[in-house]
Amino acid sequence: MIEIKFVLNNKPCALNVEANERLLDVLRNRLGLMGTKEGCGEGECGACTVIIDGKTVNSCLVLAPQVDGCQITTIEGVGNRQSPHPVQKAFVQVGAVQCGFCTPGMVLSAKNLLDKNPQPNDKEIGVAMSGNLCRCTGYDKILRAVKLAAEEGKG
Amino acid sequence: MNYFQPQTVGQAVNIAQTFEATFLAGGTDLVLHMQTGKIHPNAIIDLGKISELKEIKETDGYLEIGSMATFAELGQSELVFQKALALWLACQTMGSPQIRNQATLGGNLGNCSPAADGLPPLLALGAEVRLISREGDEVVSLETLLSRTPLLSQGTLIREFRIPLKGLQSGFAKLGRRKALAIARLSVAIAIELEDNRVGKVRVALGAVGKRAYLSEILARELSDQELNEVWIEKGIEGVQRVVREALGARASAPYKREAVSGVFREALGTFIPEGGTKV
Amino acid sequence: MNTTVVGSRVLREDAWGKVFGQTKFPADVNLPDQIYGVVVRSPYPHARVREISITQAMEMPGVVAVLSAKDVPHNSHGVLFRDQPVLADYIRMVGDPVAVVGAETLEIARAAAKLVQVDYELMPAVFDPEEAMLPEVLPLHPELCPTNILYHMPIRRGAMDKGWALADVVIEQDYRTQHIDHAFLQPEALLAYVDERGHMVVQTATQYAHYDRGEIAHALGLRFSQVQVKTLAVGGAFGGREDISLQIIAALMALKTLRPVKMENTREESFYSHSKRHPMRMHYKTGASKDGKLVAMEAKIIGDAGAYASWSINVLRKSAVHATGPYEIPNVSIDSYAVFTNNPFSGAMRGFGAAQTVLAYESQMDLLAKELKISPLEIRLRNHFRVGSTTATGQVLTSSVPLDQCLAKIAPYLQKGEDT
Ligand SMILES: Cc1cc2nc3c(=O)[nH]c(=O)nc-3n(C[C@H](O)[C@H](O)[C@H](O)COP(=O)(O)OP(=O)(O)OC[C@H]3O[C@@H](n4cnc5c(N)ncnc54)[C@H](O)[C@@H]3O)c2cc1C
Ligand code: FES
Ligand code: FES
Repeated sequence: MIEIKFVLNNKPCALNVEANERLLDVLRNRLGLMGTKEGCGEGECGACTVIIDGKTVNSCLVLAPQVDGCQITTIEGVGNRQSPHPVQKAFVQVGAVQCGFCTPGMVLSAKNLLDKNPQPNDKEIGVAMSGNLCRCTGYDKILRAVKLAAEEGKG
Repeated sequence: MNYFQPQTVGQAVNIAQTFEATFLAGGTDLVLHMQTGKIHPNAIIDLGKISELKEIKETDGYLEIGSMATFAELGQSELVFQKALALWLACQTMGSPQIRNQATLGGNLGNCSPAADGLPPLLALGAEVRLISREGDEVVSLETLLSRTPLLSQGTLIREFRIPLKGLQSGFAKLGRRKALAIARLSVAIAIELEDNRVGKVRVALGAVGKRAYLSEILARELSDQELNEVWIEKGIEGVQRVVREALGARASAPYKREAVSGVFREALGTFIPEGGTKV
Repeated sequence: MNTTVVGSRVLREDAWGKVFGQTKFPADVNLPDQIYGVVVRSPYPHARVREISITQAMEMPGVVAVLSAKDVPHNSHGVLFRDQPVLADYIRMVGDPVAVVGAETLEIARAAAKLVQVDYELMPAVFDPEEAMLPEVLPLHPELCPTNILYHMPIRRGAMDKGWALADVVIEQDYRTQHIDHAFLQPEALLAYVDERGHMVVQTATQYAHYDRGEIAHALGLRFSQVQVKTLAVGGAFGGREDISLQIIAALMALKTLRPVKMENTREESFYSHSKRHPMRMHYKTGASKDGKLVAMEAKIIGDAGAYASWSINVLRKSAVHATGPYEIPNVSIDSYAVFTNNPFSGAMRGFGAAQTVLAYESQMDLLAKELKISPLEIRLRNHFRVGSTTATGQVLTSSVPLDQCLAKIAPYLQKGEDT
């Protein structure tokens, strides 16, 4: 067992983990944060996306001890019903959500993009979202939602 | 399983020997291999806390890239863009944003898949690799390193890549099934000495045609020291198709790749040669 | 009729829960004291299970139960026919489930699954549907049909000899489509438990909760009223969650162990286990007269049903009905077949048999247009269904056939395409 400390959704967190435990499993099974989804377990789908130190990564490919000392944001740390994040609002408004399984990962990729680059162009949006697969929507509305969130952010 | 997070290269190399441990860089290959049971490490050495391995810098005549530099960092580096365009280009299309944020150039070599996107550019640019083991330091050309089996002896750490700054023009293109998250079906990196319209030395490296990425000697011979024009490009395309045909033989993907390589080659050139083959 | 609903934009209420990551998919629910189930699947396409040895697996600490065919009270399920085993002792495709391991942790269950020893008697497999149709090939489901031809749908309209006599140009071509997986983003997962009433509760993502309930009840020998299926959020389906996946297996494990049972497919297991879109082989012969009017069409469509019937009959019926496309043809002969093979079983997927034939009939239209030296748009304008048209099945279209409007809208784009 290895003791790790990290900041999770702005709260300090200390935990004993096994060397070969995936961050995804720690979040879901140990911490009960079910918003991070497993779609493939192979880094292909982005459903397990979390933000570590300002970068999106696939938590299915991260070993838990790797995040010792890191800042982690999961979907549970982004907005809520009282004050949704602009990206979340835009996803609902545009209708970018169908089955919703890709949605948490999509929201995190979009949020991280806008944190870095509040006024992205279409190409930048496309690249930022290219690590997240959606089997339902055909992507068009997702891209539109990110664009809308960026525009809302302007005002 | 033991898990180590050393702060220095020296510690890492020592632990590697003592525990027969496996290096962990970004984990995008290793974690998957552990998950599927392909690898059962005795112990893991997480290189993530060794800051000197992350440096990207220019030092007397070389662009030095630490093995723990991620594809995202390389793809956002002005220095890499200026001095090693082929590598910079490879970093734009590798994996996905999430993968690029995790995956390192050192891990790309360590895993050494036939389709590793980082290797053809490094080969074309004539990169050297600095290895560290308990026995000491070794600087070896990537080309030589890639001819070794196994690639690295147990406990050998890839410290950095050294790209000699010879003012080469370079380019890279890859053929994937889609734009993101596509393992290369074929990739081409090219680096040339170019003065006015005269091509000097040429190095062409191919990915996903052999067991490992490799430099084509034949193409280097056939394309070096000539006038840069459409004839040269056509000659390059014809040559690269022949090389791919010979490398792939009767494999099922051969006809497709042979045809596709001409477009990929042209695209790789496209980064420094506009339509028509003359320099801007 | 006046309504404020039709035509107005509404926000999806469920979208909020999804953007916050609060929505519960079946993988997201757990119960205290649950065990984890992992399925052992056949690596062979056609085999009989001679023997299953579970001793080694059972010896592993943490393993609670290993179940196989003999443990299933009524070992069958299926949407049209109950031709699919819950746990197979006769294997008809790679991925058929032969055993299920229940253990205290997922890791133990996975490790123990590797220790289940299955002795297979391998049998010759058939992967080519045309070969499978031959009378000398042994049928995979003799109890359903004497040959591997599960279904044949003939459609006849007019008189073929008359039609061909009118044809100035004839195009004859073969077309093929491939297996396609739905790849819904959330792999199959569920939680099954026996509740305080003694009822079997299965929480899962399904397209068909009431049917699942019947199948679980049947296989386990329970009454309908003893089985409750709760549909949690469904992470995409596209037809791929119509057939039973893990529902009965998990319920069986819960019934035998009286522990809550959690099961989750990996992406790879998901690919192995659920239905695919039918690959089809389509032989088309289409004739038109000089004036660009279709006069005759013959089509033979062979759909690879794979190992089990699933929805194949309905799917290949739909292929037959749609075989002419939206075009009026006076003389038509269509034969559509669903054929058993040892390939992964085919079932429902977006379009349900109507998608594959598009490749064939639209390609035929383009080739005919080329031969007739008219534009692809023109040949469609001359032949498409209108109000009053009669389809190959004899249906008279009485309303709502706005294909002319659709073609008019896309005409400018088509013409632009032709210039280049
Ligand atoms: C979804 C997905 C998409 C991908 N797409 C691409 C792609 O488009 N192009 C591509 O090239 N690759 C791709 N990959 C593969 C992978 O991301 C790369 O090979 C990556 O560069 C590996 O780096 P890493 O830092 O994650 O290595 P790790 O997984 O940490 O390590 C890989 C191997 O190298 C060894 N190693 C790592 N660092 C060192 C060191 N400094 N010294 C000695 N040995 C070391 C490790 O022990 C291990 O054996 C993809 C992977 C995934 C999961
Ligand atoms: S579950 Fe991690 S990328 Fe798909
Ligand atoms: S909404 Fe279903 S996968 Fe994206």
